[in-house]
Amino acid sequence: MKAMVALIKREYLEHRGAFLYAPLGLLAIFTLAVASALVLNKVRLPFEVGVPSALKLYELGLAFSAALWFVYLMVALFFYYADAFSADRRNNSMFFWKSMPVSDFKVLSSKMLAGMTIFPALIFLAVLATGVVLYLHTMLALAVMPRLAVPGVFEVIATSFRLGLFILVYMGLAVLWYAPYFAWVGALSTVFRRWSIPLAFLIPALVGLLEKLFLPDNGPGAGYFLSFVRQRADFSLDHSDLELAFFSEAPANIGLLLQSLLARIDWPQMAAGLIFAALAVYAASEYRRRVIST
Amino acid sequence: MSETAPLPIVSARGLRKRFGKAEILHGLDFDIPPGRIYGLVGHNGAGKTTTLNALLGLTSYEGTVRVLGQDPYQKRASLMENVAFISDVASLPRFLRVRELFALVSNIHPKFDQARARSFLEGTDVKMDARIKNLSKGMIAQLHLAVVMAIDAKLLVLDEPTLGLDITYRKRFYRRLLEDYMTEERTLLITTHQVDEIEFMLSDIMFMREGELVLHMQMETVSTRYAQVLVDPANVAAARALGPIYAETRFGQTAMVFDGVDRDKLEPFGAVSTPTLSDLFVALMQRTPGAGERQ
Repeated sequence: MKAMVALIKREYLEHRGAFLYAPLGLLAIFTLAVASALVLNKVRLPFEVGVPSALKLYELGLAFSAALWFVYLMVALFFYYADAFSADRRNNSMFFWKSMPVSDFKVLSSKMLAGMTIFPALIFLAVLATGVVLYLHTMLALAVMPRLAVPGVFEVIATSFRLGLFILVYMGLAVLWYAPYFAWVGALSTVFRRWSIPLAFLIPALVGLLEKLFLPDNGPGAGYFLSFVRQRADFSLDHSDLELAFFSEAPANIGLLLQSLLARIDWPQMAAGLIFAALAVYAASEYRRRVIST
Repeated sequence: MSETAPLPIVSARGLRKRFGKAEILHGLDFDIPPGRIYGLVGHNGAGKTTTLNALLGLTSYEGTVRVLGQDPYQKRASLMENVAFISDVASLPRFLRVRELFALVSNIHPKFDQARARSFLEGTDVKMDARIKNLSKGMIAQLHLAVVMAIDAKLLVLDEPTLGLDITYRKRFYRRLLEDYMTEERTLLITTHQVDEIEFMLSDIMFMREGELVLHMQMETVSTRYAQVLVDPANVAAARALGPIYAETRFGQTAMVFDGVDRDKLEPFGAVSTPTLSDLFVALMQRTPGAGERQ
């Protein structure tokens, strides 16, 4: 366990640029951009559709920024796995890691786990930090938009806590849901290094093409395989639930959103995906054990 | 009560390795007992690194290999608790700082002593806050040596550990290894092309040529078995009659290397000495029937 924690920390040290420094930079740019827009009175809100309360504005802002951070996390994780599984070969440190009393499976598992724990946690912290920045922006907005109602600190904290809880659960489940995709690109990276990125898309496309060529064409339009991949890539929330939560004056009903999220998840698919991910990591570790080219 | 020989640290029987259709190692058989310092010497492509990789569990092989009683290919991870190696001086993770490296290894390796590693770096230019990628090649070699010497291992394997380093670093590297690391319980296996620089510390030598061991003996045996004679010009024909394994004429003098010839028989022909390892290496690698003379 101690070694696994150390290996995960190693991943953090190696890849903190994408999950710590870059988000901090983006947050700084966002803070300055919105603050300058408010100060320079360049913000145009669609007041004709109703004046939102400052609290609702804050809630919407936090939810919207969380969605953006989530997209950032998914993209960053995809590139992380495409890089991390072959990073030891690239920077010539493979022999060093092989001289440590840890198996290749443990090393690759630590990379897999780092992408599912510490990096989403950092992005979640970025979401919370964005919440603080948004609150400061909301306070600043009062100066230029006096029609906004003043949000209380405790209301903001309560909203952040409720929404933060939902974002945390959503991020955690999403990372588990997409684990097979990440493990897929990671396993490809072990063999093909940077070519894993195009191959991660090309190989499924070829399988779909072969299915079209050789199987009777009585399935879905894109074929059974690609339809499955597309359906498996969907982890969205129900749109009507989202509208109900965020496009009304009342605070978002997080309980209802969580209920909706948990009800929409295909749990057997989730379990199958995690098994696929474990198998992909195992196969990659066996390749790494056998091939030591640096 | 009879003394029993200690169990070998490394044992190889019929060690073969193929890459595709090409066989790189042709069935090596050898034992390495504990407490010895072994030099493994051979030309580029002779199979030294492949042999070491097999011993370290880094590559598959045919035959039987046991390191500390374990199959290295199947048990590499657990074996590495008692085996340390440097396979490439530039193999430390470049993104880490020195203190991060020490903290990481101390959490991963149960036999790594961080205080000991720090003490090895005292007096060097390697600072704890330095990034490894900013260190010079010599400093990285010092750092890597500090890491492996701080591991309480039974077997230390060094594959060209000083490649590309200047003479000052190389001398310091081997001196520290000998003074601060070697004990009777530890075994060292080292490959290098600068064989003269490690000759003083070796207890045993192995020469490899084209995937085969052409020499495997203790250094004491080398000095009793092999002799080099600087033959006086008048005695060349007579000395050649004793069957040198190698002869070379340089600046009008002929040096011959003999295998298993009594020194008393050689002394009349000229000055007799024990060949250096590099001379012996050249002699054994280039030996031809009749000891063809090279100019």
